[in-house]
Order: sequence, then C-alpha cells, then structure tokens
Amino acid sequence: MDRAVIAAVLWIPLIVLAACALPIAGLARVLAVLSGLATAVIVATAAWTGYGGDWTGTVSWAGPLGATGAIGGSGWTAALLMASGVAFAAGAAAGGDLPRPRAFFALWSVVQVAIGGVLVARDLILFVAFWQGLIVPLALLMWLWGGADRRRATIRLVAHWMVADALLLTGVLALGVGAHTFAVADLASYRLGAGSQVVLALLFLAAFAMRLPLFPFHTWSPRATATAPIPVAIVLVCVIPAIAIFGIATVCVPLFPKAMLDLGPYLMGLAAVGALYAAILALRQRDLRALVAYAGVSQMGLVAIGAFGATPNGLQGALLGTVSHALAVAAVVVLVAALASRTGSFGISTHGLASQPVLAALFVVALLATVGLPATGGAAALILVLTSAFARAPGIGLLASLVAIVSAAYAARAMRSLLPSPTEVRGHDLGWGERAIVVSLLAIVVGLGLAPRVVTGLADRDLPASTERSR
Amino acid sequence: MTGADVTAVAPALILAVSAIVAGLLSQRPTLPGLRWLGALSCAGSAATTMAFGAGAPGFAGSVARDGTGVFFIVLAAIGAGAAIVLDPGPRHGRRAEVTSLLLLSACGAVVTVSAADLVMLLAGVALLTIPLYPLRRDGDAGRAVRGASSVAAVAYGVALLYAATGETGYGAFGRATHNPLYLSGLALVAGGLLFLLVLAPTERWSVVVTAAAVGALLRVGAATHSGDMSVNWEVTLAVLGGLAISIATVAALTEQRLRRLAGYATLLQLGSVATAAAAFAPPAAAFALSVSTASAIALFAAIAALRVDEPLLLDLAGLARRRPAVVIGLAVALAAVVGLPPTAGFIGKIYVFEAAVRGQLLWLVILGALAAAGSFVAYARVVLACFAAPPIGAIAAPRARVPSFVALLAALAIVAVGLLPGPLLEAASAVRF
Repeated sequence: MDRAVIAAVLWIPLIVLAACALPIAGLARVLAVLSGLATAVIVATAAWTGYGGDWTGTVSWAGPLGATGAIGGSGWTAALLMASGVAFAAGAAAGGDLPRPRAFFALWSVVQVAIGGVLVARDLILFVAFWQGLIVPLALLMWLWGGADRRRATIRLVAHWMVADALLLTGVLALGVGAHTFAVADLASYRLGAGSQVVLALLFLAAFAMRLPLFPFHTWSPRATATAPIPVAIVLVCVIPAIAIFGIATVCVPLFPKAMLDLGPYLMGLAAVGALYAAILALRQRDLRALVAYAGVSQMGLVAIGAFGATPNGLQGALLGTVSHALAVAAVVVLVAALASRTGSFGISTHGLASQPVLAALFVVALLATVGLPATGGAAALILVLTSAFARAPGIGLLASLVAIVSAAYAARAMRSLLPSPTEVRGHDLGWGERAIVVSLLAIVVGLGLAPRVVTGLADRDLPASTERSR
Repeated sequence: MTGADVTAVAPALILAVSAIVAGLLSQRPTLPGLRWLGALSCAGSAATTMAFGAGAPGFAGSVARDGTGVFFIVLAAIGAGAAIVLDPGPRHGRRAEVTSLLLLSACGAVVTVSAADLVMLLAGVALLTIPLYPLRRDGDAGRAVRGASSVAAVAYGVALLYAATGETGYGAFGRATHNPLYLSGLALVAGGLLFLLVLAPTERWSVVVTAAAVGALLRVGAATHSGDMSVNWEVTLAVLGGLAISIATVAALTEQRLRRLAGYATLLQLGSVATAAAAFAPPAAAFALSVSTASAIALFAAIAALRVDEPLLLDLAGLARRRPAVVIGLAVALAAVVGLPPTAGFIGKIYVFEAAVRGQLLWLVILGALAAAGSFVAYARVVLACFAAPPIGAIAAPRARVPSFVALLAALAIVAVGLLPGPLLEAASAVRF
C-alpha cells in the first residue's frame, strides 16, 4: 500500500462526513455503505496486486513533540482494513431506521477515520491519537442512539477505556522519551532491558486487553453491546477487537519480543481461562445481544491465545480468526436485529420461524460460522491457534479445545429460539437488503475457510524477527 | 523616553488609552458597538506585540520584551477581548463602564507579565485586580477583600525583597544572599500571585488574570533559580500540580454549577502547567496555558449564552436543539480540557507529559493520565446534559448570537491547533528563561 491507498482510506470517510451536511434524506446511509465497501475494495486490490509493497512514509504533524508521523501498511493493516471496511458497510446497511441519520452517519464516519488511522499509524503518538480519538464519537453514538440502559453502559465503557488508555499513554511516553523516537520501525531495533520490557509491555497490554476485551477486563462489553444501536454494536464486537489484536501483534510483539516471550504462557493461560469462562457465561444469557457479546469475548480469547503465542502459526491464526470472526459476528448481529424486529424482543425464547425459512437458515449458518464450523475461516484459524498453543504449552491447548465444545453448546442454545412453537412469528421473511448483507458476509467467511492462505499469506509478510526464535 | 521604551510599553499603552476613551464615553447612553471597539483594541494590542516581537527591554531593563512576554501578552489580550465581547448586557452595569474596566485590567495584565522589576510588578498587579472589584455579581462582596489581600501580599513581599537586596530589578534575585527577609519576601510575592489564580475562577475575566499570574510566576520563579540563594521550586510545583489535578478531578465529578465546573477545568489545566514548570519545560507550560485559555473562553461563552446568573447542568437541557453552535463549542472545549484528540488539548497533554517523563516525574504523568479518565466522566455529564429534553413549559432563552460565535471560534481554534500544531508549538518554544 502506498500513500494513495492510505490517503483513500482516511479521506473517503471524511468526504462522507462532509456530505452528511447536505440536507438530502437517505444519502448519508448510502454513502456510508459505499465508503466501507470502497475502502475494502481499494485495499484488497492494492494488497493482492502487491501495489506499493510494504510502503511506509510520513505525515508532518506535531514534529516538535517528537512524533515522526510515520504511516504505512503491511499485511496485517491490509487484512484488517478490508475486514473493518466490510464490517462498516454491513453496519451502515443494517442501520436502516435510525432517527436523525445525518448526524448518526457523520459521527459514524469519524469512527471510521479513527479506525483507519489506528491501522495505518506507524508512530506511537499518532497511534494513540487515533486510538483515543475513537472514544468521543463512539460514546456519543451510544448515548444518543442507544437503548434503555445507555447512560450506565456508556459511562462504564468510557471509564474503563480511559483508565486503560492512561496506562498506554504512560507506556508510550516512557518508551519514546527513553528511545528518542516514537516510530515503531526505529523502536523495534531499540533494545530494552528485560525488566523494562516487561513493565512497558504490561502498560501497553492493559489498553489492548481492555478493548479486546480480555477476561477479566470484559465487564464493559455485554452491557454496551446490548444497549448500543445495531450498527454501533457491530463496531463494538467486530472492529474494536480487531484493532486490539492489531495492537498486540504489530506493536507489542515487535517492540517487546523478550517480554512477550516470557509473559506468553501466562497471557495465553489467562486468555484460555477467559475464553472458557465467557463461553460458559454465554450459555446463561437471556438477551441475544449479550450472548453475542460473551461469544465475542470467548472467540477473541481464542484468537488472543494465538497472538500471545507469537509463533508464526499463532499470528496467522490470530489474523485469520480476527477477520473471520468480525465478518461472521457482523452477520449474526444483523440477523439478531432482524429477528428482534419481528418478535419485538431480543430475548431467547422459542419463536417458531416456519414462515421465515431464509432467516432461520441463515441464522443457523451464521451462528455456526461464529463458533468455527468446519469449512469456515474460524475453523482454519482455530486449528492454527491450537497448533501454536500445543507447541508452546500443551495444557493451554487442552483448555482452548474445551472452549470449542462449550461454544457449540451456546450456539445450540441460541438456535433454540428458532424451534417450532405454537406462537408463530408474524412478519415477512428476511428482506432482500438484509439477505444481501448476510449472504455476502457469510460467503466471505466460507471462502476464507476454503482458501485461508489469502489472509494468512498477508500475516506472513511482516513476521517480526523475534518469532523466528520461538520456533 | 526612548524608542525602545515606547516599543516595550506599546501594548499596554494601546489598552490604557482605549480604556480611558471607553471611560469617557460611559457618560453617554449605552453604545452597542463599544464592546467591539474594546475587543478591537485588545486585538490591536496583541497584533502590536507580535509585530514588534522580542527585542531590547525598555525603561532601563524594568520592562522585558522577550518571547515569554510576547506569548503571555497575546494570551491575556485575547482573553480580555473575549471577556469584553461576552458582556451579558446592561443588567450588570453599563456596558461602556464594563468595557473600560476590563481594558484597564488587561493593561494591568500586560504590565504584570512583562515586568522585570518589582515596582512594575506591583503596579501591574494593582492595575490588574482593582478594576475588577466593581465587576462583581450581586452578593459577592468578599471578592474585593480577596483582591485587595492579593495586592497587599505582593506589596509587602516587594518591600521585604527591596529591604533584603537593596534593588528592585529581578536580576537582584540572582545576587541575593542567605537572608530570612529575602525568603519571606519571595514567599509573599509568590503567594500573592498564586492568590490571583483563585481570585475569580468562575468569572469570564479569569482567563486574563490566569495568564498574567502564570506569566509573572514563571518569570519570578526563573529569576530566583540562579545565584547563591538558588531556590528549588520543582518539588513544590510538582506537589501543587498534583494537588490541583486531584482536587479539580474529584470536585468536578459531582459539581452541578457550570461556573464552578469551568473553574475546575481551569484548575485541572493549571495542574498541567505546574507539572510542565516543575519539569523545567516553559514551552510546554505556555502551550498548556494557551489551551486552557481557549477552552475557558469557549466555556464562558456557553455560560453567557444561557443568560442565567448561576447556571446549573439542568439549565443546559435542550441546548443541543436550540443552540447547536454553543454545544459544539462546549464539547470541543471540554474534550480539550480532558486532552482528547483531535483537539489541541491532546497535543498539550503529550507535550507536558513528555517533559514530565524527562524530568523524572512519572508519578505525575500517571496521576494526570488517570485524572483525564475521571474528568472525562465529569465533563461528559456537561455535554450530555445539553441533549436532555427541556422541561415542559420552559421558556426558550433569547437569541445569543455573540456567545455562539465566540464559542464556535474558540472551538475552531482548538481543533485547528490540534490538527496543525506546528505554528503554536513554535511560538511556545520561544518561551524560555
């Protein structure tokens, strides 16, 4: 990716933001969908044609602060930009009947710019700027368009994120001031002592674990997902975890190789325990959105095992798992919203969907894709992650395998809502718009299961040197 | 008077002359355009300062003309211009009188920050505070006493310092010998200047007083940091900064009165300024203070738009629908207070924290970063209160074009500096001692 691609990633949402000022009804949403798709297509074309290579450059911004303004893109950036672009498009498409759509999609575009910025920033100050720039528009979207419990959910999310970000900022400044640079490329060759590596890695990981969310930092997630409007819920369960994994894999692993190696087993253990715990909690949820949130915590815990393992297999699995989880969960959220709009509630009870066969069928496929049905991207990712986990610590691998069983159980429980019942759900079957969103998302997920090299090849492109040691 | 003398006091002269003119006009019935002329003379004073730039001091070294002076004079003049324009109207005294008094006070601020001599400092502080006495809101007679005690402390301090050193120039601090008179004089001067900061934090002219007091404190502090009797301010400053940050964060969490919240926002940012000063980074301190000035202007503009004497959070209900410009100004200003990107507050926070890490003050960085989390929650309440539905039967406030304009302008400046911080960072780097 070169400057043109990165400029497109950042400017397309900004143009949508400006277009939201035009008083044309319906335009904002259409443009938001197109902007997500355009980002994905441009990045995909650039990544798979090899256009621009692994380009890095600089933007002039805040030079006197020591910020180098380095930007660039590698395999991880490209894969996650594509996934987030598709998720943003799906989210915007799913937000059909929101009040004040122009204001909503204006803030939405700001979130999109911030996510794009996080993924292309190769300077830690710039990274933190985009990372924190996300909070205000997201909080406003939740507060102004959210459900009944939005006040507490928003305050809780913001308070959790800000405290974790305080630690990240401290870590960034301590590292950058000591090394006299904030550029990731230069910092990667700056050798720190083992002790300082561990301290700094923990400061960075605090922020990444909070947004992943990694057990025990997940408490903001279910409440926020359950009250956020559907498009924002998609961002919370698909895109936010993706940037957290991105932070772990492309900031923590190359910058603190020794610390990540030493902390690896503990972090992998924590992630495995968290994944199992969240899967068990998902079994007990009554609200479908809370179930999706816990399922997300559980699946991202599995993905995190791969990232913390920092082996080539683990990192490939982490990237593939993140992408495929983001797309599959986006489909589930869209279907949950469609189901709720027909039954009038997000609760799990038997609904009977005899007159909505397409909705029922797609719901089953999407749920199974989320928990790693064979022949989906999730299954390939799980195999890679488990291979890495068994290589580093067999016990953790065993624990992680248990998660797969429990996730099948909560998926089955969610499907219970489709069982035949005396009270049949009224309303039409899934509309063509929703069918298009869900089918294309699931098609990509299945495609990733059949040809995982498409994404894992991107992860191989920027293997940090440190991972060679742990082979 | 030589040419250099005139150049050195030109910004103060412009303000003094326009204050006198406005005072003379106060005999006439209210003049609607007068506050704009007042603001124009503030802008003229700032422009003159920037045009002349740094150079040789005037009046035999008693009026400094350095980068520090330029930066703080411009800040004080901008703050004074905003305070004049945001005058709530004839209900609070006649407009021409208010404009005249604020211009005089701004003149005092300019003298205070450019003073390099104790007598000039005393004159500046007196000129800064005395015109503000009549501007009190109803039922706040205590402010006159507080203002007078601030001048008195500086006066006693100046007298003791003169007794101790036999000179009045700041240069004498470097030649001071061990002497209890010297230390107590210094304590009185610093205490008097610090007292200025808490003189009227809830009023719109607090931006002028804050800029003047911080500028003078930085200058006095730097002057005493040399010679045999070098005074180390770092620990004191760090502790004061930590206290300011903690108190401002905790107190803002439950505060309902908007004026108090604006005061706590200023206090929080003064904590950052103190942190930067403790880490020997005057540019970072100056940058943080300019962010604080811009956000305080936007906050007081929003308060002025409400047309209520003591506005509460409840009074903000419905503002998002009626005055979106004010809400945007308020939101951007509070984001800058918390230090969120893409506002100038984020740049200021990074600048100050970097300096603090270099100055081995990591504990203040952690405290400040955590305080940002706490104050986010505190100030998010303010922004979100604007989106609440107004109470049934509420009377819509009259139009507020000028406050909306000021709030939007301040917000624009904050975001512009956040996106392109280069020029202001460069200007701040001229602030050194």
